[in-house]
Amino acid sequence: MKKVLLAFAMTWCFGLCGTAHAQPPATQAQPAPPPAAPAAAAPAPAMITDADIKALSGPKAEDKAKGDPAGTTTGNVSDIPVGDAKKGLTLGDIVNQVGQNQIAINFVWTLVAGFLVMFMQAGFALVETGLCRAKNANHTMMMNFMVYGAGMLAYWLIGFAIQEGGVGAVANLGGTAPLSAEYAVKLFGKDLGLFGMNGIMLTGATYDVGVMVMFLFQMVFMDTALTIVTGTAAERWKYSAFLISSLVMGAFTYPLFANWAWGGGWLATLGSNFSLGHGYSDFAGSGVVHAVGGLTALAMGILIGPRIGKYTRDGKATAIPGHDITMVLLGCFILAFGWFGFNPGSTLGASANGNLRIASIAVNTMLAGMAGSFAAMCYMWGRYGKPDASMTGNGLLAGLVAITAPSGFVNPVASVVIGLIAGVLVCVSVEFIDRVLRVDDPVGAISVHGANGLWGVISVGLFADGRSNYGGAWNGVPGSVTGLFYGDGGQLVAQLMGVATLIGFVFTMSFVLNLVIEAAMGQRVSAKTELEGLDIPEMGAVAYPDFVLKADAMGVE
Amino acid sequence: MAFVGLAITFLGFLVSLGSLGISNSNTVRGVIVLVGIVVSLVGIMGVLNQAYMKNAIWKK
Repeated sequence: MKKVLLAFAMTWCFGLCGTAHAQPPATQAQPAPPPAAPAAAAPAPAMITDADIKALSGPKAEDKAKGDPAGTTTGNVSDIPVGDAKKGLTLGDIVNQVGQNQIAINFVWTLVAGFLVMFMQAGFALVETGLCRAKNANHTMMMNFMVYGAGMLAYWLIGFAIQEGGVGAVANLGGTAPLSAEYAVKLFGKDLGLFGMNGIMLTGATYDVGVMVMFLFQMVFMDTALTIVTGTAAERWKYSAFLISSLVMGAFTYPLFANWAWGGGWLATLGSNFSLGHGYSDFAGSGVVHAVGGLTALAMGILIGPRIGKYTRDGKATAIPGHDITMVLLGCFILAFGWFGFNPGSTLGASANGNLRIASIAVNTMLAGMAGSFAAMCYMWGRYGKPDASMTGNGLLAGLVAITAPSGFVNPVASVVIGLIAGVLVCVSVEFIDRVLRVDDPVGAISVHGANGLWGVISVGLFADGRSNYGGAWNGVPGSVTGLFYGDGGQLVAQLMGVATLIGFVFTMSFVLNLVIEAAMGQRVSAKTELEGLDIPEMGAVAYPDFVLKADAMGVE
Repeated sequence: MAFVGLAITFLGFLVSLGSLGISNSNTVRGVIVLVGIVVSLVGIMGVLNQAYMKNAIWKK
């Protein structure tokens, strides 16, 4: 029986590949391609007919009653659903089952990857709370907790439709055809997609299993971008303003850029419209997720101002240490774990269309993350004499952020180089933002996600080696994404266009929207609240009621 | 000055976008996009942030 199934699998792969249903037996024979080797070395695939299928039988009832401790007979021909009981099992039934199995594999892979990304929220919560003072722990933790719910509701309401409403059919998920309406404008003689229009509240035709998988996966990505901002504005952000700001970002800011990059928008079509490589290519979101979050964090950092005590009267920066470094490093580990969903999951499948590349994406992710932490540790050790723990953790995150966009397009050597640069970049960027720009960023989110998100986007245009192949084309351009070092300078220009859009458009949009919120309700807590700690005035309870906090931290004379 | 900073930042984006219609040469486009990025960075760091720094909390 195994031989018959193997022969069938060969027939399917070489003869019927690409068809949705089995052809009648008489028409199954396909012209054999010219043999590359002598005919004797390549035996022709066996022909399978419905008669062969009917001859198959599963284990006998008495054998099944004995159990299957070795697992050799569980899962067999008797488990394949029959379409027509009168006809019995046919080749068509088996082919349909093969197709559904492929989509099922992709569904499960993408959903599990999404679950991992969802758990990254816990990592962010630990990192940010650990890097803040104990008097603000409840407030910081609650922001990280509720950004998930607030962002999700906004995204479900309108954000998903803006982002993915016109993405079209995604083959890995069996087609998401209901997501078919993209609003575009004519510019420079080309149609440039601006936003999607289907999928509001997942109603109508978008009540579809493929769309649901897409929604879950994209939703957790969006939430990752939102939670970046809470780190920069921590310890002085009014909770009510945070909620409104997160709703707006989840509904509009994030989905708009995500549409341009991933939803069939104008950045994705820079290749097909303007011959810029394969268009803006951001495999898992260094730009879409991290740079959007990091630049919004920069906007908030400028707008809300530094914490009291961060700078002396002459503008010199002082260190305000966090309260729990163990929490920080545990959070970093959780984030690194979740990143295995973030990057490899972005194939949206594990079967067909080049998706076995998930193995190299996972390895690239791992290598760049640890290269980043190693470089940051060495930098801090050399510059300040100690291997600073929090910056080593940030180095890990920087490497992971930077490899997110190129993870699907580069080789392991390039991943290490990208990670090493990211590890140094995050340290230099933290110093620059802290001491030169004087923007107070308690957790280093602008540097980790903003600076390294942009670096990740650029690195695709440099290091993509042209060896990946996801179904033969990317962004509608045949072939593989190839960077400058491998011969395609146009790809680098496409990536730079993405950077220009992030800095020039996304930052401006984020700043203006938060400026409106500032004018309407104020973004910052009072100085008294800030000095007391935000836990009691904003949340009504401290995070650690059984512990005596330092008197000065509580504002007690 | 804050609004001037925002305007310059957005102008940088428009300069970069304009590169698509100005030339078919990827080298020329690349140079224009880089100019746009620099303009945006000047808007953020040189103008907008400086405007907010004038009234920074540590100066009060």
